[in-house]
Amino acid sequence: MDKKLVIPGEFLSDDPLLADEGTYVEDNKVFSTVFGIASFKNHVRVVPLSGKYIPKPGDLIIGVIKEVTYSNWIVDIRSPYDGLLHISEFPRRIENDEMSKYLKMGDSIMTLVSDVDANMKVELTLNDQRLRPIKEGRMIEVTPSKVPRFIGRSGSMIAMLKNETKCNIFIGQNGRIWITGRDNEMELAIKSLLKIERETHISGLTDRVTRFLKEQKGEKVQEKEPEKKEENIEEDKEKKESEGILDELLGNEK
Amino acid sequence: MSKPEKLIENGIRLDGRKPDELRPIKIQVGVLNRADGSCYFEFGGNKVIAAVYGPREVHPRHMQKSNSAVVRYRYNMASFSVEDRKRPGPDRRSIEVSKVSREALEPVIFQEYFPRSAIDIFVEVLQADAGTRTAGINAASIALADAGIPMKSLISACAVGKIDDTLVLDLNKDEDNYGQADMPIAMTPDGRITLIQMDGNLKKDEFKEAIEMAKTGCMAIHEMQKAALMEKYSSQIEGENNE
Amino acid sequence: MSNEIIAELRKDYIYNLMIKGEREDGRAFDQYRNLVIETNVINKAEGSARVKLGDTHVVVGVKIQPGIPFPDTPDQGVIITNLELIPLASPVFESGPPREDAIELARVVDRGIRESRCVDLSKLCVIPGEKVWMVFIDVHVLDDGGNIMDAASFGAVAALLTAKLPAKRYDIGEDAPVPMRNVPVSITAVEISGSIMLDPSLDEQSIAGTKLTVTSNQEGEVSAMQKSGVQPLTTEQINYIVDIAIEKGNEIRDKFLVI
Repeated sequence: MDKKLVIPGEFLSDDPLLADEGTYVEDNKVFSTVFGIASFKNHVRVVPLSGKYIPKPGDLIIGVIKEVTYSNWIVDIRSPYDGLLHISEFPRRIENDEMSKYLKMGDSIMTLVSDVDANMKVELTLNDQRLRPIKEGRMIEVTPSKVPRFIGRSGSMIAMLKNETKCNIFIGQNGRIWITGRDNEMELAIKSLLKIERETHISGLTDRVTRFLKEQKGEKVQEKEPEKKEENIEEDKEKKESEGILDELLGNEK
Repeated sequence: MSKPEKLIENGIRLDGRKPDELRPIKIQVGVLNRADGSCYFEFGGNKVIAAVYGPREVHPRHMQKSNSAVVRYRYNMASFSVEDRKRPGPDRRSIEVSKVSREALEPVIFQEYFPRSAIDIFVEVLQADAGTRTAGINAASIALADAGIPMKSLISACAVGKIDDTLVLDLNKDEDNYGQADMPIAMTPDGRITLIQMDGNLKKDEFKEAIEMAKTGCMAIHEMQKAALMEKYSSQIEGENNE
Repeated sequence: MSNEIIAELRKDYIYNLMIKGEREDGRAFDQYRNLVIETNVINKAEGSARVKLGDTHVVVGVKIQPGIPFPDTPDQGVIITNLELIPLASPVFESGPPREDAIELARVVDRGIRESRCVDLSKLCVIPGEKVWMVFIDVHVLDDGGNIMDAASFGAVAALLTAKLPAKRYDIGEDAPVPMRNVPVSITAVEISGSIMLDPSLDEQSIAGTKLTVTSNQEGEVSAMQKSGVQPLTTEQINYIVDIAIEKGNEIRDKFLVI
């Protein structure tokens, strides 16, 4: 069996060398730590169906300014840990008393996690050309552990969504998604994104969402494509996916 | 109700159960929107609801631990949950229950994954009928899993007691009031005990037998907890297939 | 109390919808979310109700016990309303004794019931000067999805309507229903940039300048009112809300809260 819904403490494997995310080893056996989907191709790992975002350096995320202090913006990054954006990490040189002028409470930002130390102090930066200011459009929140599904194998899901809805969609690692486009197109994109959120654990997702989108738009539904076969090997590519996410977010293939 | 003459006759208890029978259990997972994880649990006449928030920022700040999450458990009974209205707010009993319940769950939570954060567990008793603390622990366990909190396993709990010199599983209110012993127990699926309290009178071999009885009860409950979690997602799958 | 920050982006979205006469969940400005009221849900309580109003979920229990009347009303029963914003219901509710929000909610629910004289307190007298029925209304909020006020009020009234005086248990006679004379219904509106909307969702509530709750009975008499929040209201706005509260109150009463 490729994938299985498991609960914490469920036995997964006799080989501790295969233990990966979402598992722990005891008595030389591998068990699940979370309630989620276990996959057994190559390594044994469990992707939780829920859970908070825990920041890692290199993550591209969406934050909301919580507080402006003398030299830092304190940013809500949808995690038990707040992000700290130091004034020096702003793309322009500005004065301490101007900070609110540029970024005030309630503003949303696309930002990069530059460092996370052992005490979970999270440092953010805006100094990266991939980042954009968020001034308009809409934002929704999804489960962070499901983000790879939203992006899809080699970015296939997000590419399809952008194509079908003609919207620009940015998916932050912390499960915040920013959409821009025309009102009704954004509405459609959001409906599809929420559908993905509900159905991540069911296979054949890309197909279903494509079908859903076309039906919503009143188009004829396409015949099944060779894409179907790829769904089965999608899972063992998921690991490579999460490494290649930054590239996918850029829309570049390395 | 004044003390009944017999609590068990011909191996049948007043509510019709056999000595090793659990009361009916009904479980619903993910019943609350705002909480990160939640579970509604009915255990005989007990109705409890558990909610988990976390890991989240610790308030007040000084309570945070630098290398692990702090786990907090608040057991509370609604004023209307018992026959004689209970004044709102924590009393000594609920503070004690909160402590031992927290200690029942802490050993399996991977707290070290989330330094400087809090994992808050809230259990509200809406209707009480003996065994609220075990119902609460069972519900809390599921709520933790629903919230995606990493754990070594679930924890399952039930009580064993003695009525009319007979060991019985899962006491109801009358059995608790008029019985000879009451022992709530919580354990991991592989039988390691994380909560044990006793009041009453048990001989040594009765005690050993009682533990074994509790183990069987807890194993059965664990299966139901697992089924309830699975059910939450499979019902979604069915719903989608019908779309 | 730590308030959650709402992103400006979200506020803008709600404002833009409002300008077009729309709300995020597609409701009309004077439309209530899906309302479900179940009674007799707690067997240990003499009366109880469980209310789901949109995502807001509350359970109300009515406990009735004999007690000593207040010295200035020796032949009248006593009603005491309590409301708990327990931390289970929201990430921003904290443990501890009720603070101003919870107290305000409890008192407004209480006022609606007391001032409408919906419970005939004189019929709750057992022995004048010595023994009367004490009616405790306890509202337990389980999930905050906005507009706890109305959910709590509907629940309290529904629980009272189906509650029984436990006379038998105390050897006072036969059990009897709580004597209810009329049915107060609370309707809450919020003001957002000049527009008035009923039954605010959580976000609408957070963004709103101010909130006004109006409780009325079937004769169209207003028995309680509470403005909650900082923004001022004009006389026109208040009159409008009173009119619409009476109308909406009748709708909800006819559907859910029949004696």
